[in-house]
Amino acid sequence: MKRDSSVHQLLPRPLRLAVIAVLLASVLIPLCYMFFASVNSDLSVAAGEFWPQQLDFGNYLRIWSTVELGGGLVNSLIVAGAVAVASALLATLTAYVLVRFSFLGRLAFLRGLLALQSIPGTLMLLPVFVLFASLATVFGVQVIGTRWALVVTYLTFALPFSTWVMVTYLRGLPRELDEAARIDGASSWGVLTRIVVPLSWPGLIVSGIFAFLLGWNDVLFASVMTNPESRTAAVALQVFGATQEGGAIPVYGQMMAAALVCALPVVVLYLIFQRYLISGLTAGGVK
Amino acid sequence: MLAPGGVLMFVVIVVPLAVALYVSLLDLDQYTFRQWVHAPFIRLGNYSEAIQRSNLLHSIRISVGYATIVTLATLPIGLAAALATQNRFRGRGLVRSIFLIPYVLPAFVVGTVWRIILQPDGIAEHTLSRFGVSEDLWLNGPRSFWALVIVQIWASWPLVYLLALAGLQSIDHTMHEAAALDGTGWWSKLRYVIFPFLRGPVTLAMLIAFLHNVNNFTLPFVLFGVPSPRDVEVLPVLTYVEGFQNFRFGVSAAMAVFSVVLIAIPLAAYLRAVRLDVGQA
Amino acid sequence: MTAKRFLFALACAIVMATPLSACTAEPAAEPGLPGVGKTLNVLVSANSIYPTQQKQWFDDVSAKFKTQTGASVTFETFASPNDELTKIQTSVLSSQGPDVYSLGTTFTPTAYATGAFVELTADDWAKVGGRDRFLPATLGISGPDKQHEVGIPFTSRPFVMAYNTEMLKAAGIAKPADTWDGLLAQAKTLTTGGNFGLAVAYGDSFDPWKFIWAMSVQAGNPLVNGGKAQLDQESTLKAYQTYLGWLATDKVVDPAAAGWKNAQAIAAFGAGKAAFLPMVSATSKVTLDKSSVAGKYSYAIMPTIPPGATSLPAGGVAATSILSGDNLVVAKYSKNKDLALSLVKMLTSAEAQETYYKTFGELPTNAEYAKTLQSDPALAAIVDSSGKASGTPFSGAWSQIQLALVNVVVQSVPNLAAGKVDQAQLKSLVAQAQTAAQSALDKAK
Repeated sequence: MKRDSSVHQLLPRPLRLAVIAVLLASVLIPLCYMFFASVNSDLSVAAGEFWPQQLDFGNYLRIWSTVELGGGLVNSLIVAGAVAVASALLATLTAYVLVRFSFLGRLAFLRGLLALQSIPGTLMLLPVFVLFASLATVFGVQVIGTRWALVVTYLTFALPFSTWVMVTYLRGLPRELDEAARIDGASSWGVLTRIVVPLSWPGLIVSGIFAFLLGWNDVLFASVMTNPESRTAAVALQVFGATQEGGAIPVYGQMMAAALVCALPVVVLYLIFQRYLISGLTAGGVK
Repeated sequence: MLAPGGVLMFVVIVVPLAVALYVSLLDLDQYTFRQWVHAPFIRLGNYSEAIQRSNLLHSIRISVGYATIVTLATLPIGLAAALATQNRFRGRGLVRSIFLIPYVLPAFVVGTVWRIILQPDGIAEHTLSRFGVSEDLWLNGPRSFWALVIVQIWASWPLVYLLALAGLQSIDHTMHEAAALDGTGWWSKLRYVIFPFLRGPVTLAMLIAFLHNVNNFTLPFVLFGVPSPRDVEVLPVLTYVEGFQNFRFGVSAAMAVFSVVLIAIPLAAYLRAVRLDVGQA
Repeated sequence: MTAKRFLFALACAIVMATPLSACTAEPAAEPGLPGVGKTLNVLVSANSIYPTQQKQWFDDVSAKFKTQTGASVTFETFASPNDELTKIQTSVLSSQGPDVYSLGTTFTPTAYATGAFVELTADDWAKVGGRDRFLPATLGISGPDKQHEVGIPFTSRPFVMAYNTEMLKAAGIAKPADTWDGLLAQAKTLTTGGNFGLAVAYGDSFDPWKFIWAMSVQAGNPLVNGGKAQLDQESTLKAYQTYLGWLATDKVVDPAAAGWKNAQAIAAFGAGKAAFLPMVSATSKVTLDKSSVAGKYSYAIMPTIPPGATSLPAGGVAATSILSGDNLVVAKYSKNKDLALSLVKMLTSAEAQETYYKTFGELPTNAEYAKTLQSDPALAAIVDSSGKASGTPFSGAWSQIQLALVNVVVQSVPNLAAGKVDQAQLKSLVAQAQTAAQSALDKAK
């Protein structure tokens, strides 16, 4: 396999290195600062110092007892993971229909999906909450406070975008593949699971990552829809930023430590999945 | 097969949206909201109040201006990042992961970190003063707008990067070979061979990024606090303050509906123009 | 692990985790008690300084309450005042949520206006141990009048001023002044050699209005009077001029303070770069004792004579601080009102208040226990301020007025950073605040 040879070269080497170096620096310098702050004393962080006066790694221990960070991380992984998987699959299903079949209102539906993205979360918070809360009064199902309430909410907010990603992606798949499979006697479902999904990994991964991060980072909905047991890491993180009125300063060091720790699972997940990002069409034997 | 996704979006987005629309017609505040169904129905009163007696129009201008600048600026950065990490090299996996980190950090952490960096007498000021620039007030006044733009660019370019990366995968091997055989220079290759393939995903990324920027609440809220300095009084913060701090839920809903309409109309026009959604290429 | 296997594992984990979380084991309680099998939900502020102690306190309270009533208590925490607001709003709207809330005092009027919290009858007061078990001053913001009270005082957090004892000594100042003019004069003397007289957080979202309110009320203007906003009075303008003038014209504050949050002001004082740190509460002790001024600072009450005066003018109130702290309120939708009141009774008893003070450093509202603290010299100024604090106007519109007051400062910051107070701009900002405040008051019911 010499696929990555000069034939595939996109940028001249010096330019490529320059781009990588500049971007790495712009990402890493603030991150370095976060790391320095995480081992620094809260007072010097508040004073805006860059170099730490001390190297106190105790913050990395303290964060676990200050809030239920461990439980929060587990909740976040479960919620965001479920949202990622479900939204990638549902989006593929929806997108497949939108790309392969033509029906009345198809364009309206597609554009409507994007329009949904323009609705601010603050507008939706109270109505969504009331909707879920009324499930408890009407059907006797307690939804608020469970992880499922969050999964359903995030899944829905992620779907429009995930669907669009899959639409742009599936559009690139040659129709002939479907047709060949159909001639072989495959049903729509069979085509979807055996041809479309295996070929769409990059799209699936991107829409999955997007949905995952939506669930991972949200604070607005999570802070009112969770109880102490189902609280997500992002909400737990906020406690570190809490200020006591007129009193002590926030525990900046722990906050930075916790933020870095919380970023780690996502980075690891990405490392695991990233090879699927490069095994798209070319690896699928489409040529 | 549309049913599961469709039903979900109908129940969790469309129904609450209808409720929110109804709320925007009510005089709903701290005195009436416990029995919100019985709050006085005042038709378009909230809308006229939002336009005439609040900073709504000012906020829309700020929001759209800032979102546009950020979106345009993230395009070259995200594209360059995707192109630079497309070819295999040692440590590529790590570099790609690191590029994602700004997008992975919760917005309020990003806000807090940058607030400390940008605070008067802080790191940004010290660094800049070495280059002879003595700007100390980044979190209020006219420069706060640019502070918001810079931080938002920092936090949001990975989205464009991600989608461009996915788009690059859909380029067939033969395209590269054809370009190599023609002896095309790298820029021409990008311009005529690669970019057309990226148009779809990247346009999508920019649209989404724009909408997210317009609706971004956490970052300006954490960076500048409330009440917000005039120059960064973006729409989501105005809406939030009106609803959750001033308790004028009706007015707040009206503001939000207004913003949706104001954004949705240009969006629809744009979508028709770019023909992003018109079937198969 | 391949991605597919990982996904499978993840799916399994989700499926397995769900039923587990649904059934938490209920420890058996003694039969015969009124609350057996019941659970009270309580919402309190998360304490990031004493996190483990807070968890312990939650467990202790729950255990003790169980032996008393048979019911268990679950605590939920919120991270910021905004978090709390959203939580209250969603709960009230859906009639679901915590039974008991711990609210900041200045938010109590708004909470009262929603009509969502139990107004305490004489009978209810008896159930929490009697109205007279509380320090009279702490009851000042429980309701619009004695007959309509919702808030039960839980902790007191009066504002005071920290000062650097060594710097004052070196400058030959015996004690902090009791007039704002005097304080300014002292601050001028102390502004030397790179140090500043005052550390003030102009960029903070919570603090600035407290200065404006204090100086106004001392000059005889409570800001709200019988449904009329009085932000346009001369005394309020004077308050803004004084407050902003410290940095702009008097130069007794670090110019960088134009953008400071509270944390930066405390850090500056903690680094020994400022002599006075006004508007802090006893909780600042935690931070200051870890700073370089540990053992070299003390607390005093803030001046009570308004700017431009040498004695308290007629109609002026010598308020040392806003009436600050936490009130407990019981939600009307709660199905366990009596249990909730028993919990409040337990939490406001002398014994519980002692534990709370010793654990978190928050002053008691229980009169009996508060008396024993008066003899502690380290607390003298704080206890003093607690007794002389004055309530902010009890109006459902107060939150909006507070926001309008801070907004004047926020919008003045760019000019302040340039070292000036633009009088014309200040007047127009104050006029805007007056309009906003009046229109909020007009909507009050």
